Amino acid sequence: MNVKGAKEESIQTQLERSRAVRANIKKLYIYFVLALIVIIFSVAKLGQVEMFGRGHFLSPDSIINLLRTAVPILTLSGAFTLLMISGYIDLSVGSAMSLSAVVFALMILNGFPFLPALVITLILGIAMGALNGLLVMKLRITPVIATLVTLSLFKGIALLIVPDGLSAIKGSAEKVMPPWINDYARKNVLLGMPWAFFVALAVIAILVIVQRKTILGKYAAAMGGNRTAAELSGINVVKMGWLLYIIVGFFAVLAGVARASYMSLGDPLSGDGMELDNIIAVLLGGTAFSGGEGSVAKTIIGALIIMCVTTGLMTVIPAYWQTVAKGSVLLFAVVLNHLLIREKVKA
Amino acid sequence: MSVETKQARKITVGGRMSNESFLTLFMIGVLVVLFGIACAIVPNFYLPQNMLNLITNNWYIIILGIGVTFLLITGNFDMSVGGVIALTGVLSVYFCQGANVSRNVLANGLGLPYGLALGLALLCAMGIGAINAFFIARLKVPSIIVTLGTMMLARGIAQVITRGAQRNTSLPDVFGVVGNIAIQGTSIKFSVVIMVLLVVAAFIFERMTVPGRRTYLIGANAEAARLSGITVGKHITFLYLTSALLAGITGILLASEFKAGVSSRAMGYEFDALVVALLGGVSIAGGFGSVLGMFVGAVILSVVTTSATGLLLSPDWQFTLKGIVTFIAILAQRFALDRRKG
Amino acid sequence: MKLTGNVLEIRDLVKDFPSVRAVNNVSFDIKRNTVHCLVGENGAGKSTLIKILTGAYARSSGKILLNGEEYSPHSPKNAKEKGISTLFQELNVVDQLTVAENLTLGMEDTTFGFLRKTDKINKMVSVMNSLEPSISPRQLVSTLSVAKKQIVEIAKAVATESDIIIMDEPTAAISESEIARLFKIVKGLREKNVTVIYISHRLDEIFELGDYVTVMRDGKHIDTKPVSEIQDRSELIRMMIGKTVFEVYTPKKDRSQETILQVRNLSNHKLNGISFEVKKGEIVGFYGLVGAGKTELARAIYGADDYEGEILFKGEKLHPSPHKVIEAGIALVPEERRSQGLFTILTIRGNVPVMNMGKISRNGFINSSQERKVTLEYIEKLRIATSSTEKEVIKLSGGNQQKVVFSKCLFADADLLMLDEPTRGIDVGAKSEIYGIIRRLSEEGKSILIFSSELPEIMNICDSIYLLYDGNLKAALQNGYDIDSEKIIHIVTGGE
Repeated sequence: MNVKGAKEESIQTQLERSRAVRANIKKLYIYFVLALIVIIFSVAKLGQVEMFGRGHFLSPDSIINLLRTAVPILTLSGAFTLLMISGYIDLSVGSAMSLSAVVFALMILNGFPFLPALVITLILGIAMGALNGLLVMKLRITPVIATLVTLSLFKGIALLIVPDGLSAIKGSAEKVMPPWINDYARKNVLLGMPWAFFVALAVIAILVIVQRKTILGKYAAAMGGNRTAAELSGINVVKMGWLLYIIVGFFAVLAGVARASYMSLGDPLSGDGMELDNIIAVLLGGTAFSGGEGSVAKTIIGALIIMCVTTGLMTVIPAYWQTVAKGSVLLFAVVLNHLLIREKVKA
Repeated sequence: MSVETKQARKITVGGRMSNESFLTLFMIGVLVVLFGIACAIVPNFYLPQNMLNLITNNWYIIILGIGVTFLLITGNFDMSVGGVIALTGVLSVYFCQGANVSRNVLANGLGLPYGLALGLALLCAMGIGAINAFFIARLKVPSIIVTLGTMMLARGIAQVITRGAQRNTSLPDVFGVVGNIAIQGTSIKFSVVIMVLLVVAAFIFERMTVPGRRTYLIGANAEAARLSGITVGKHITFLYLTSALLAGITGILLASEFKAGVSSRAMGYEFDALVVALLGGVSIAGGFGSVLGMFVGAVILSVVTTSATGLLLSPDWQFTLKGIVTFIAILAQRFALDRRKG
Repeated sequence: MKLTGNVLEIRDLVKDFPSVRAVNNVSFDIKRNTVHCLVGENGAGKSTLIKILTGAYARSSGKILLNGEEYSPHSPKNAKEKGISTLFQELNVVDQLTVAENLTLGMEDTTFGFLRKTDKINKMVSVMNSLEPSISPRQLVSTLSVAKKQIVEIAKAVATESDIIIMDEPTAAISESEIARLFKIVKGLREKNVTVIYISHRLDEIFELGDYVTVMRDGKHIDTKPVSEIQDRSELIRMMIGKTVFEVYTPKKDRSQETILQVRNLSNHKLNGISFEVKKGEIVGFYGLVGAGKTELARAIYGADDYEGEILFKGEKLHPSPHKVIEAGIALVPEERRSQGLFTILTIRGNVPVMNMGKISRNGFINSSQERKVTLEYIEKLRIATSSTEKEVIKLSGGNQQKVVFSKCLFADADLLMLDEPTRGIDVGAKSEIYGIIRRLSEEGKSILIFSSELPEIMNICDSIYLLYDGNLKAALQNGYDIDSEKIIHIVTGGE
């Protein structure tokens, strides 16, 4: 038995070593992808523009613009990741974002100061998240269907708030939109970046910490990884899931406010497609759809990748290529995610 | 056993109706109630033309609903159908537009014969279905993600071909026929006839054919289905190809009706198709639902949206109404079934 | 401080199900800080007893005292809180978390939600280390072998001061060296004020590990003794099977010599080089206990799982896919009838024709009257207790559900039927009906493969018996008057 035992041991250590190698690939691939994208767009127009000069992908103006436009997804995708880690999904985030943009713009247009308007909108976000939580966790409706229902609901309410004849809540001759609405998401505060950007950075930092170092992050992973084991250990899965949906609603609203501020209006369709962008970011970041594992930090990188692709493409190809590009990126992300997860299963 | 006296046991064959039929009847009941309310509160609701419109307005959603219903029964989504409509419509135009007609790029197509153009367009539609099937049946990726991706892919290709707008020039005369001809003396379009035929065919498929039965088996218990000899992957592939084909046919009919291939056509149709399936009692939990129920669901949706218009509510009410109605339907169906099970 | 006395006292415990009394007035004590083994054949009532202890089932009557106090857990979580932890075969660890995170799951110390590294964690980690130092607390559980995952679960139970850890067939899925390590740990638990209830079919383990052993049979408590007082395996085996009179097996008059199935060197993750032959009309039994590989063998032949090796059916190579295997003429009654054999939300009529739709359809169109006729036919042939073809299968009793599965497979016109635990959870009446069906089929020339862990069943009807242990075919016997049931048990519990 000794010989057999020794052989078993060495096979074990061999297995564990190859697992480690694969684990490293899993950790680093995403930085390669980001670098690749950046390089591609940087060299794309080198014939026409100077490196780092005007119009170049890596020119200061362009980078600032990209980051400012990326604020909503940077604000939201961390929370979205946390929800996916727990094994659940929220397709209504785009509509929640639109609704909050509309509500926020409406209040600003009608004289509310920034902070009260923000706070009220955030409360709305909590309510929206709570509704999703109710449908999914308590009433146990399939998350996809439940959040498609709320998607429709939120979008509908946003459209109804905007008066007939207008496409968005915006300033007009009679009622002017206070120009300071722009301050939050556009006005230069530091290095050319606005408040909204730093808020987004803070949100990212907070959520990275939450995911790695707090009990919320751990329980989300436990729920998604093995719900039975989580319940047996005393975790109240229903309460946890509900809380996660509320958190997603909260940050969706924060993203919506940033968008409204950036555009100086509340557009009820401004959030359309946000859920897809989030899904792409999450897939690229290697989060499994069944839950249990994932990384906020990697999702953020994924979000940067999708933003680079979106803005970069606009400089290289006409606008009407956007959709097919996004669809291809999504399918590419699906394949990438599939390969990563398969590696996991094999290991 | 040969020695005992065989008891004459009376075994009923058939009898108590299935849960599906119960639910379909339940939704018909709901439809009747809603209809009654609408007649009461909506001015001019009870007009023969309105009645007809309830069924014919939604013909494209109903066709889509067929594919979506069968996939939903197996536990899968297909959100790509709206994109496939746009793609097929645009391709059907592009393929048979005159070849070197003008300097405007959007006015030049491939100049193929009409029939060939249609055939190729449908083939492309099924190509999208094949991509869906590959990811979902082969790689086992969640269907909601994949089909959202292929939706963008399909619509995106349509946008590229139309440069974000539409193609509608230098079309052969025959192009506008299928989408616009009607039964003599009525306003019932050929598209509606196709819809009815497809629904009937789908119903026959679901109730009376072997592959129809297999769909339910897979939805009820995919593992047991596999152990019973059903090739689940092949069947799911078949369903996605069919769904794409149905969307393709719809796309051709719509393009013909408007004599244009528009890249923004059918936005949100995939969601409506899902809604009518859910309203009709189809359950994502699998193995449960009927095309007939979906049809009833489509009529219910029609009643709701027509009432809204009749009550002079702005079209923006649609989204809210759809969300609320779907939610109530899901709960009501659950309630009714629980009560039935006792 | 080592405590003494009884940690668990069971008095007149009864558990009734609609058609059977699974636990029949069982009474015994478990002494503190011992390894107390629980043995008995399938259907003896062991698992039901355990399910009552873990709070998965409610008892019908009787009393349980844990540490002298009334013990009535209303859920597994509740049982865990009260001090009884269980190691199941489905491991309850979260693969995606680290060892330390799993150990502290549900019991973390936090400051404003931030996880704190406190003494509690250190204590748990040191418990872990004392059991198995090679496991690093920072490792992801997914990188651990099954054996190490078990150890993590044990560590968690110990660190949370469980009084009792129940281990249900823990050695079924781990290697020999890992078993040795597990035993060391289990023995060491006695010093940590933990009592282990150890369930296993491998009798050698009982002798190596156990302080006491309780034998159950047919739901009744047979005896509880110190292991030291048991002379040898045979005594234990005799306690397990008692004076069970096996229905006398009647050898067949004419046996066909035609070989219908040849299995050569079948191997996969569980099986090791299995080879055998089956003759036409033969009833072959595969007997072994939990983890022997019976289901894996059935599934491999059926093509439901991958394998290496060759299978010839009627002279032709069998393709590894259920679809093709059914076409060739083999049907499987799976182990789990509800999750694998039936479409529970459908009716009897919806289930029966499924494996041979061609026979009730023409050109793809189902002939409803034919469908009903066939369903009726099987309801009568197999005496399925129902008043309608439209009864939802989920509403039938276990025995009748199994009959529906049988109907399904019979309708497939198979020449060879594989039955995996065909009478599990079925009352005596339905059981004998099923045996009658099996005999009839054999007379009609069909070959039957029965995979079972119930010895009386195997002895009752099988012409040939193969014994499985740990994925290996250990012996092949011809059934007859002089069959030695003790020798059989000896082999399937690991003896040579």
